[in-house]
Amino acid sequence: MSARHRSGGEAAATRRPRRPWRELLEAWRDQHFYSFFSSLGRLAARPFTSALTVLVLGLALSLPLFFWLAYDNARAWSGGLREARDVTAFLDPAGDAGAAVALADELRRRDDVAAVLVRSPEQGLAELRQLAGFGAALDVLDGNPLPSVLVVTPRAADPAYDPPLVAELRADPRIDLVQYDAAWRRKLSGILQLGERLVAVVAALLAAATLLVIGNTVRMDIQTRTEEVAVMQLIGASDRFVRRPFLYSGLWYGLLGALCALLVVVAVELALAAPLGRLLGEYAQGAGVRGLGPPLALVVLGAGAALGWIGAFIVVARHLASGRPAR
Amino acid sequence: MLRFDNVSKRYVTGLDVLAGLSFEVAAGEMVFVTGHSGAGKSTLLKLVGLLERPTRGQVHVDGADLARVRSRGIPYLRRRIGMVFQDHRLLLDRSVFDNVALPLLITGTPRGEIARRVRAALDKVGLLARERAAPQMLSTGEQQRVGIARAIVGKPPLIIADEPTGNLDPQLSVEIMNLFAEFGEVGTTVLVASHDLFLLKRMRKRVLVLDHGRLIDDFRPGEAA
Repeated sequence: MSARHRSGGEAAATRRPRRPWRELLEAWRDQHFYSFFSSLGRLAARPFTSALTVLVLGLALSLPLFFWLAYDNARAWSGGLREARDVTAFLDPAGDAGAAVALADELRRRDDVAAVLVRSPEQGLAELRQLAGFGAALDVLDGNPLPSVLVVTPRAADPAYDPPLVAELRADPRIDLVQYDAAWRRKLSGILQLGERLVAVVAALLAAATLLVIGNTVRMDIQTRTEEVAVMQLIGASDRFVRRPFLYSGLWYGLLGALCALLVVVAVELALAAPLGRLLGEYAQGAGVRGLGPPLALVVLGAGAALGWIGAFIVVARHLASGRPAR
Repeated sequence: MLRFDNVSKRYVTGLDVLAGLSFEVAAGEMVFVTGHSGAGKSTLLKLVGLLERPTRGQVHVDGADLARVRSRGIPYLRRRIGMVFQDHRLLLDRSVFDNVALPLLITGTPRGEIARRVRAALDKVGLLARERAAPQMLSTGEQQRVGIARAIVGKPPLIIADEPTGNLDPQLSVEIMNLFAEFGEVGTTVLVASHDLFLLKRMRKRVLVLDHGRLIDDFRPGEAA
């Protein structure tokens, strides 16, 4: 460093000449224009190779997207299930409607109960009839075999533990059966958390693969243009100038790969939407398939472009470093 | 313009290519470097353009001590040196115009000025009519002239040429050398490596003779005769 200050010599020959900023800006713009179009031209000059690379990238990038969509839909469908804290108590069928109302009133007076809903055996039967296929079966029965049901909503508590209310209801002789699915719901949450992590891991792995594919493609690009790079350097091209068209190539590969991935995902969505929608309609009214939204699409395009740029940068930096004169 | 102080270059193979080389070239001077092959002519030129760095000694170009030019500074040094190669090293996928425009594109010259200066350079080497041609469509002599146009388009104060007439017949060689001599007359320093003794005698310019990396003679043919 000190050598640089001691000598005015370097300044004379190697410092950049000062120029008005407007001219510099125009030069910068011209050089980017040049790189922008020349890199696109290179891709277009070998359409088959470029298309293959873009397809590979597209398929690689679409995989984490599918994982994410599956996870996102599972989360959406199970959302209601995970939220519900209700305890369902099936009363002894021997008791009458009055007993059910009395028990409900008793429960409502407790501090840890937020609400109690009474469903009579008649309501239960009507609900069952509405579900497809049960109507005929129910007609065969003489009476109504259904018990009265109390749906008890406990006040908010730590979801990791069962509220004491559940144990007390289980001990109550007037109640036949207590259904409380906390344990099962905790498992579902665990599975979803695993799914989320899985999406992240798959995305990271395939991002690395994308980086390598683009890096390798740009490396081959450089190899076919070694002479051009050498000549450019001999006549005074800065590293930045040499690097720029390759960075743009990487950017194009990444961007086109991401676009291809989005097209693949949309095509698969379209192919699956109708049958999947019908299937879901059987289970839950109004549940639709959640697709890929515009914000995520933009993130994918941005990530693809960034990966391409970085992959190209690493490879070009390596090439440039290998060409410097040794001390 | 150019000064070598006790410069030596030893390659990693242990071969001493240059040993204790000292000379000075004034601005606007045209100098030939000659010697048998392997005498160190090419290495000498490579040290000037920082394609190689000397093992010992100092090289000054236009007042700059090259030992103090770091990697990032190399492109800016090379922009002040026009390089001409034996095999011209044109980019074959570009037109003559685009090849000559390359140094200006690198320095970020405004587009209008690029066109003007490229045509001026092509005019000087007599190839203005061929600006749209691809390099392969030109004769060897014409290709070399395009290479020279590329070297002079940035108006560098120093031109170095490594065997620029190595692939040309005597008639064309003289034409090319006369072209270099013309640049010298307008103040550009020209350093040409050549083993063509007939040509050197004819040009009557200063000649540095290398032998096994040592400077064994420094003369001007006209004076000696």
